[in-house]
Amino acid sequence: MSTEKIKNSLKNGPDELGYYGEGEKARGGFASGETLMPILKNLQDAFEDAIKDKSFIDKFHYYCKHWINRPSPLYFAENLTKKIGGAKIYFKSEHLNHTGSHKVTNCLFQTLLALRMNKKRVLVESGAGAHFSAAAATCSKFSLPILGVMGNTDIRKVNSNIIKAKHYGAKLEAVDGSLKEAITHVLKMWTNDPDSYYLCGSAVATAPFPRIVQYAQSIIGKEIREQCLKHENKLPNEIHACLGGGSNSIGAFHEFLDDKEVKLVGVEGKTSAALSKGTIGIMQGMKTYMIQSKDGSVAEQTKDLPSGINYFSVGPQHSYLKDIGRAEYTFATDDEILDTYKLVARTEGICSALEPMAAVCETIKRAKGKPKDYIIVTSLCGRGEKDLDVIEKLRGSDFE
Amino acid sequence: MILSERLKKIFSAQKPKTKFVAYFVGCHPTYEKSLDIIKASIDNGTSIVEIGYSTSEASAEGPIIKAAQDRVIANKSSLKDVINLAKEVRDYNKDVGIILMGYISNLFMFPIPNFIEEIKKVDIDGVLVVDAPHELKEENTLRENLKKNDIAFIKLVAPTTPNERLKKICDMGSGYIYCLNYSGTTGVKSVDLSQVKKMVEKIKNYTNLPVCSGFGVKTPQNAKEIASTGVEGVIVGTAFVDYIEKNLDDTNLSKNLGKNIKEFTNILN
Repeated sequence: MSTEKIKNSLKNGPDELGYYGEGEKARGGFASGETLMPILKNLQDAFEDAIKDKSFIDKFHYYCKHWINRPSPLYFAENLTKKIGGAKIYFKSEHLNHTGSHKVTNCLFQTLLALRMNKKRVLVESGAGAHFSAAAATCSKFSLPILGVMGNTDIRKVNSNIIKAKHYGAKLEAVDGSLKEAITHVLKMWTNDPDSYYLCGSAVATAPFPRIVQYAQSIIGKEIREQCLKHENKLPNEIHACLGGGSNSIGAFHEFLDDKEVKLVGVEGKTSAALSKGTIGIMQGMKTYMIQSKDGSVAEQTKDLPSGINYFSVGPQHSYLKDIGRAEYTFATDDEILDTYKLVARTEGICSALEPMAAVCETIKRAKGKPKDYIIVTSLCGRGEKDLDVIEKLRGSDFE
Repeated sequence: MILSERLKKIFSAQKPKTKFVAYFVGCHPTYEKSLDIIKASIDNGTSIVEIGYSTSEASAEGPIIKAAQDRVIANKSSLKDVINLAKEVRDYNKDVGIILMGYISNLFMFPIPNFIEEIKKVDIDGVLVVDAPHELKEENTLRENLKKNDIAFIKLVAPTTPNERLKKICDMGSGYIYCLNYSGTTGVKSVDLSQVKKMVEKIKNYTNLPVCSGFGVKTPQNAKEIASTGVEGVIVGTAFVDYIEKNLDDTNLSKNLGKNIKEFTNILN
């Protein structure tokens, strides 16, 4: 990977202080307590150092290929395309990665970074448990003890990921609430044990995490470029991805930020649609859009069914991309997501996680009536095993 | 270096030898009770009160202060209410130091220029923002505005803070330096005295500002031990917030907590 920077490229990433954009418009930053500040600075330096080290990057790519099974296929969803009647729909099959979601790539990258930094213990937060189970797998593979934090609301929803993580040897601490509460709690645990490594699962929180996670996940977009050129001999017209914090979407978008002809569309859940309905604030380490009270004292409770996108805030780079108009953001409702889940299961034989179905809702809307050579790539960032119980309970009779 | 006249006077006084700094969650458990508690604290020898304003995602609070802040948020008490509370405290006593303490979220939304205007009117001595390191743009705005208005900006230093950074922070801070006794959230660990002593010595190499240390000071005996490290002030928070949470139904809550506080101020005299 080249680290050379092109002037004015949107891919240049945040400045040294973790900001995307300038002045009042800057998003991101280090809004962190003093105990963690020196630790975060060390992490930033260690990351910059690691990505210049060819042997480190080679190791990351080696395990991406042989352990995660990357590149994930770019799959032509032929039946769905026919059914909708319009643009050609491709799925970037991140659900076929080892551990079943895009999360594992970031876990692999940061676990290797933690080892490089000689860290002895890993802390993670998780929403849908996809990050927890992926981190547990990577930490098992590389022999690091790991402790996860999840909200009780989510633990009830995604039991299979919790069982998997337990089998990999991870410990879990439950807190009241969901992903928001898990993040605040894990930041406290890290403050109490700053020698441990916090393996942040999304492109959120204080600098340098949004940049580190974006870097690791950008492999998704790089593969999309290569695969789309191979299959179609051109770039996609649009790339769609769901987002809570936004690691899957920034991973899919980043490679194309300077290809202005490629439309980038992110889809949140309806109640957690920070980019559509939120205001700029500063919480959980970053300045970004969020669903908050007017006086900034409360991060509002959001209630979207897919735990992985049920997050009141969003990664700062997405806020920046929204502000400058480089990416568009919208949202989908729980009902739309469940309908789309069924459609994808029945047309493509894919039992998808609920999160990426938010993105497919938008793909369906936008594909309709488009010319046949118009290409939409949608990141299918997770598989659905974790959601089966919830779907059965809510919609089981629909499938009979 | 700016140091509001009041804080200067407090730290230059011969007695008490080590100043007692009490932290309370503002409007906890209610606005009225909180005011009574702070008054009782002043009546029992507290030199400086740090009044906390609440944020749901506060990242440095242990479970006890978190529970208190959650209660305040559930009661819908805002930073505006905490500023009103501080005004009543100032009306009650002209000598006590008043510091507002909390997170950047509320200040950003207030927003910062209006916040400064309000607290200047109320005669607040200083502000401490837990998650606003000097790397953050809003910290720079806040620091500049506080300086212009001669309001102290209390900066935190932690055991993890390396020397060069420590020097920088000491240069940026005013009022006093808040020295964290351990790396962690409020009220969850015990204090390693020798570590605190080393840290206080280090801070004093870089600044003439008074040093107050906090986190993990649970008993008057703890406070006395901390005082022996050479700090000018000892900060206690969680122990009092815990007392309040456990005695919510006590009709003499402020009076009884006052007695408790007296034990701390007596031992520091």
